[in-house]
Amino acid sequence: MDPNRAAASTASSGRPRDGVGHPPDFPAGLRVLVVDDDPTCLKILDRMLRKCLYDVTTCSRAAVALAMLRERKGAFDLVLSDVYMPDMDGFKLLEHIGLEMDLPVIMMSADDGRDVVMKGVTHGACDYLIKPVRMEALRNIWQHVVRKRRNELKELEHSGSAEENDKQKRALDDGDNASSASEVSWKNVKRRKDGKEEEEEIEEREDPSTLKKPRVVWSVDLHQQFVAAVNQLHVDKAVPKKILELMNVPGLTRENVASHLQKYRLYLRRLNVPQNQARLDTPYTGASEATFHSVGSFDGLDIQSLAVAGQFPPQSLMALNSEPRRITTTGIGLSSVDQIGFNPSAQMANASNIRPAMMQQMSNKQLNFLSGPSSSMESGLLGQSQQPVPSYGNMGLRVSDGASGFFSLPSSQRTSTSFSGGTINANMTNSLVMQMTRQGQQFSLSQQQNRIHINMPQQPQTRGQLPNAIAAEHDSRLSTTMGHQILSNEVSRHGSGRCGSNMNVCTSLPEGYMNASSYGAVSQALYADFSNSCMNESTGSSYPLATGAGATTFTSTGMLQDAFPPVGNVEALGNSTSLKGVDFVPDYDLLSEVHQSKSRDWKLQNINISYQLAQQLGSKQSNIDFGSSLLAHQDPIATIKDESSRNTCIVRKETFSVRTDIEREKGECIAQCNSTILVENSVRVKAEGMSDLSYQGGLFDGNIIQNELMDVVGKKQQEGIGQVDPEFNFDGYSLDDIQGAVQKR
Amino acid sequence: MEYSSLQRQVAYMKKGLFDQGYLDEQFDELEELQDEASPNFVEEVVTLFFRDSSRLMANIEQALERCPQDFRRLDSYMHQLKGSTSSIGALRVKNECTKFREYCDQEHLDGCQRSFQKVKREHAVLKQKLESYFQLLRQIGPTERATRSGS
Repeated sequence: MDPNRAAASTASSGRPRDGVGHPPDFPAGLRVLVVDDDPTCLKILDRMLRKCLYDVTTCSRAAVALAMLRERKGAFDLVLSDVYMPDMDGFKLLEHIGLEMDLPVIMMSADDGRDVVMKGVTHGACDYLIKPVRMEALRNIWQHVVRKRRNELKELEHSGSAEENDKQKRALDDGDNASSASEVSWKNVKRRKDGKEEEEEIEEREDPSTLKKPRVVWSVDLHQQFVAAVNQLHVDKAVPKKILELMNVPGLTRENVASHLQKYRLYLRRLNVPQNQARLDTPYTGASEATFHSVGSFDGLDIQSLAVAGQFPPQSLMALNSEPRRITTTGIGLSSVDQIGFNPSAQMANASNIRPAMMQQMSNKQLNFLSGPSSSMESGLLGQSQQPVPSYGNMGLRVSDGASGFFSLPSSQRTSTSFSGGTINANMTNSLVMQMTRQGQQFSLSQQQNRIHINMPQQPQTRGQLPNAIAAEHDSRLSTTMGHQILSNEVSRHGSGRCGSNMNVCTSLPEGYMNASSYGAVSQALYADFSNSCMNESTGSSYPLATGAGATTFTSTGMLQDAFPPVGNVEALGNSTSLKGVDFVPDYDLLSEVHQSKSRDWKLQNINISYQLAQQLGSKQSNIDFGSSLLAHQDPIATIKDESSRNTCIVRKETFSVRTDIEREKGECIAQCNSTILVENSVRVKAEGMSDLSYQGGLFDGNIIQNELMDVVGKKQQEGIGQVDPEFNFDGYSLDDIQGAVQKR
Repeated sequence: MEYSSLQRQVAYMKKGLFDQGYLDEQFDELEELQDEASPNFVEEVVTLFFRDSSRLMANIEQALERCPQDFRRLDSYMHQLKGSTSSIGALRVKNECTKFREYCDQEHLDGCQRSFQKVKREHAVLKQKLESYFQLLRQIGPTERATRSGS
């Protein structure tokens, strides 16, 4: 007894459409995406769903699923996913989907332990099925789609326009097959869940209108904007209305923002873990943390941003932040990434390449990623120091402490990196940071793109990891420079709200971007602060990373994002080779600036976020960065250019609008955004000589750069970035990727 | 409807498998999914299962030899195996998998080894029984199969 009513039953007919109700034969034709690594289960589910007359698409890898979802937004109504999968944790996938596509997701598992089920619920799953799944259970899954639509409509209605309420209300009602009683109660429940704001809506049922509520897709850019706004208002005090005003995005309703805010908060809570606090603020022991603060703060922010980007598992970011001084571990900040949950292990280690230089400044911890010289990257990367992007509070500066390793800034800028703020001693990274700060202003988000494309060519497979590998090689280059640039710009910008987000972005990016994995971490940290600044487009610039050395091209945009002024950092990352062009130095000023501005909240948070993003980016995109990694080789700065501009910058664009154009070219814009960063990678700078940046291709496998960045980047780059694991999910997002990427070495 | 002797044999065999606990109701679910559109669905799934599970078991075996202390890995492999076995209704194998996981929890290596041998044995036995079952089924024509009453 299928619910479908009509005889028409071809699976593909009558797709339920939002707004008005559903097609007459609904739920037949419901477009379901099933993700399960077990071929036996997948086959059985496929058959069962087809029997229910649904339109089924199967997938055995989460990364592929995420890519599919990203590519064809709106092509699916519902996702069914297994919890335990080898390539990605089902919960991470769940978070990603929730943030990016906002589709109803149903989890499945043979594990019926209370904790696991609870985890599913808290991560936002609409339902949790115990395997073996029976046909009856599948027959009713359509109800989740309907319910979600109704709630969305409600939100929409409420958002500000009174008149809309009447219309919208419930066009969906028509389609509901479920018993209305249950619906009502669901609604109530959902309402409560969705947020207080919607309370008033529930009861109203206006006449169904044909108004269809378009589902708001929280693109990376949009999310960046959101995060920026939230950070501006301060995360605890942010109210949807104000956020909406700050964001100033036409067509966005308060309801959209409200529900997104809810998710975001949940995400932060998850991420949030101790790390943030620890690090971020800790001023560099060596360096003048001041500047890095931005970075640090970035952490917090970035993470968020990153988180938002969906890519980074918040945790990663957190990880980044939390460790303040880890940086020493050359391991590029990524280590924090590790913490986050990434799979960093492999990658990050490689990521070490990513040259912590990047902005790892972030406080050692974070910097871990970048930990300077490519070599450090390797080790550092993930393995090392988990130092999650040290909360930027110190941002970048921290780097000096531990990071010195990270930021392999070739020029050993060490310590003295004049970062305006804190002297990012961390070896080069500081310079990056500095740059970033300086650039902060400049880093219009676009820069971030340049990011650190840590092209960790090596890692081609590592899904997110790419960056590490690549990063290792290139990384330093790109990201740092970019990061710096961007960061600095951003940082300075900071005020713009975006910056804030940028920072986040950065942070996130670095992680992700760094995908080189290693960078990611680093970048993240760095970026965190920088993120604000980082985002600056300047990415292209600094990348001294081009250091060719294998530069840790961190391109991982992720790197840039965060604290690291992409520019500066990148270099650091890239390769231990003296950050070539490390232009960062000048940026340091930016950093300091950035710090100032940033230092606030970002701190750990950003970092985390950034990492996450980075991770995500990294993972997903690995490409992105790697693309950037390009730069690393050649001219650090130059490379960043265009390559990145392509994709990644995009992400940022919106949020930061800052220089997006700049970045584009730079490609680096990694900072851009958390998400964009990844994208940028593709743009990467590679263009330059980096050719070896292999990141391009190898790294990314084309993995599903999870977040938009990824897509962007991926598309652009397609280079090889594949690695980017869609991991950016919160759980340990992409850090893995980043790490991987970074690890490159 | 009248059953030919072949059909009766098949029904009898199936009943035996259920009574002895080799299969559970999930297997019935699979049979329900079979129809004119997918006439050999159950056999296809079972074949797929045995192929995939053999691979998993080889991994477990290897893990037991190389890194026996890595209980988390062993548990994770076994979790996967358990998921597949439960989805086709292989009850006995599933039960042995559960026991194996319990030993993993207790980090009882010896228990794991023994339990794994049992898993392998049950797996082999089931494979053999299902092979004869399907062989018999193939002798019955498709139409007959469709009218075959479930157990």
